[in-house]
Amino acid sequence: MAGKVIEFRHVIKSFDETQVLKQIDFEIEAGKFYTLLGPSGCGKTTILRLIAGFLHPTSGEILFNGQTINEVPANQRQVNTVFQDYALFPHLNVEQNVAFGLEIKKVDKKIIKNKISDALKLVQLSGYGQRNIDELSGGQKQRVAIARAIVNEPKVLLLDEPLSALDHKLRKEMQGELRALQQRLGITFIFVTHDQEEALAMSDQIFVMNAGKILQSGTPVDIYDEPINHFVADFIGESNIIPGKMKDDYIVTFDGHDFECVDAGMKTNEAVEIVIRPEDLDIAPANTGKMNVTVDTQLFRGVDYQITAHDVNDNEWKINSIHKTTVGQMVGLNFDPEDIHVMRFGEDEATFDARLEQYE
Amino acid sequence: MKKKFHLSNLYLILVFAVLYLPILYLIFYSFNAGKTMDKFTGFSWQHYLTLFADTRMISIVINTVIIAVLSALIATLIGTFGALGIQQLRKRSLRNCILSLNNVLMVSPDVIIGASFLIFFTFLGIKLGFGSVLLSHIAFSIPIVVLMVLPKIDEMSQVMIDAAYDLGATKWQALTRVVLPAITPGIFAGYFMAFTYSLDDFAVTFFVTGNGFSTLSVEIYSRARQGIDLEVNALSTLMFVVSLLLVGGYYALTRYNESKKIHRARAAEEEISQ
Repeated sequence: MAGKVIEFRHVIKSFDETQVLKQIDFEIEAGKFYTLLGPSGCGKTTILRLIAGFLHPTSGEILFNGQTINEVPANQRQVNTVFQDYALFPHLNVEQNVAFGLEIKKVDKKIIKNKISDALKLVQLSGYGQRNIDELSGGQKQRVAIARAIVNEPKVLLLDEPLSALDHKLRKEMQGELRALQQRLGITFIFVTHDQEEALAMSDQIFVMNAGKILQSGTPVDIYDEPINHFVADFIGESNIIPGKMKDDYIVTFDGHDFECVDAGMKTNEAVEIVIRPEDLDIAPANTGKMNVTVDTQLFRGVDYQITAHDVNDNEWKINSIHKTTVGQMVGLNFDPEDIHVMRFGEDEATFDARLEQYE
Repeated sequence: MKKKFHLSNLYLILVFAVLYLPILYLIFYSFNAGKTMDKFTGFSWQHYLTLFADTRMISIVINTVIIAVLSALIATLIGTFGALGIQQLRKRSLRNCILSLNNVLMVSPDVIIGASFLIFFTFLGIKLGFGSVLLSHIAFSIPIVVLMVLPKIDEMSQVMIDAAYDLGATKWQALTRVVLPAITPGIFAGYFMAFTYSLDDFAVTFFVTGNGFSTLSVEIYSRARQGIDLEVNALSTLMFVVSLLLVGGYYALTRYNESKKIHRARAAEEEISQ
């Protein structure tokens, strides 16, 4: 098992009076693809800038390969950054941009030349070396920025919303390429984004952040299937969040009925919230499903129909179905016990993980 | 539509006529065989010959150019670093305050600046001459350079400097390899503005030249007081031609660079479409 590359210990960062990061603790292992995911202003970019060395923590410790780097300036850290707006040097051509870091380190000219051509090949820009930056498209600039960073062979590559300026199709393409690149190079990537789809598609590990805190960390599947609280469930993907009560282990009550579920370890009759993803709901004829709802709207989205409906208690239900239904009609809903995920109020990540550990 | 187009053209021609006629009039009489601008008596190179024989005038021209080149150079250096310093100021109010101080110098009358320099230099016991003129020219050129360079620095994305540090550059390397190249157009513009300001400054220079040292504008002024000598016309003509050549050269250079860029962009497109 590869060791920890970066570790945050009780890191707090304040700007003037406002605390942007509140007690951040996490570990980053070598060779994995990490994503910091959260809405804008949640502190994810601050974490990236702390790792890069553009900011220094107000308190707490940042460790790199086991050594504190709180006071190490940015130009002496073994990390490189791909910036949101690329930050390429407009007065240099592609080749000179990529060579910048190596020339600063006074690497031999011949070696630089080889490394540049390797790096450009890696990002599929061979033959673009002599181009000016303003002659490149957005996607090409992005690739140059990546080449400029990885040519220095950093231990960790930081990516600050690098795909946000690209159009949808190109973004999808680059997501795949970045993932492939990370696996080929084996460098740790720390990727910052507010796009949950992007995070789910690319990461080994996701840190979901909000308001200066890490709410949940885990694999994309963990976070999608077992969100820790309302915010995470709502932020990652679409979800139906309904208030309920935990009647007993493996039995939850909502909408006036008892349902079998796979969660346990809570107090009897504890108030909880339950999450069911829209794609886990199947439409059945009325009175044949586990519950009945009335269809309000139906939207055709190409792959499926997005349906909204309400039940007798006026809870709104989002349903993604490949089958068409009729607006105003009463339909039945079917779901399996595994589709129900129960969330407690105010549970922190440690207790959440420990509880899940018990019965899984 | 067509008539309107005509009118606007006429207007343009009129404006340029007003602007250029005095100069052309002056140039025309520089070839006069007579001694005054009253009547054109015939074509001759006579005034040009006296000009080239006038060693005092030639040395003053050289002095003027040296002062302009040197003062613009030093002012550009100081002004550029000054602008970089101003840009680094975190406090908005302090930055505005310093910028205002800078701008006040731009708008305050030259006569006042010249007089204050004279008082200042005599107070310090600095001998009036080349040194005092150079110092004062540097001083009044710095605000111009700051004004030309600062917008370029503001325009430059701050992230680029971060990127330089990120790639291992020291402060000095980031400055010389990223910041200065990015603001080079502003620096050049500042230099040429300072150069022209120095070249044609009269009011400030008049106060601080002292005995035995003179620049072109001061010399022409003192000669004009005794009635315009056509030698001055000849000199003005030559200077006009030189500035025309400079402007023409600058135009040709930018045209050349642009066509090169377009050419390369086209080549790049062709390569992609293949």
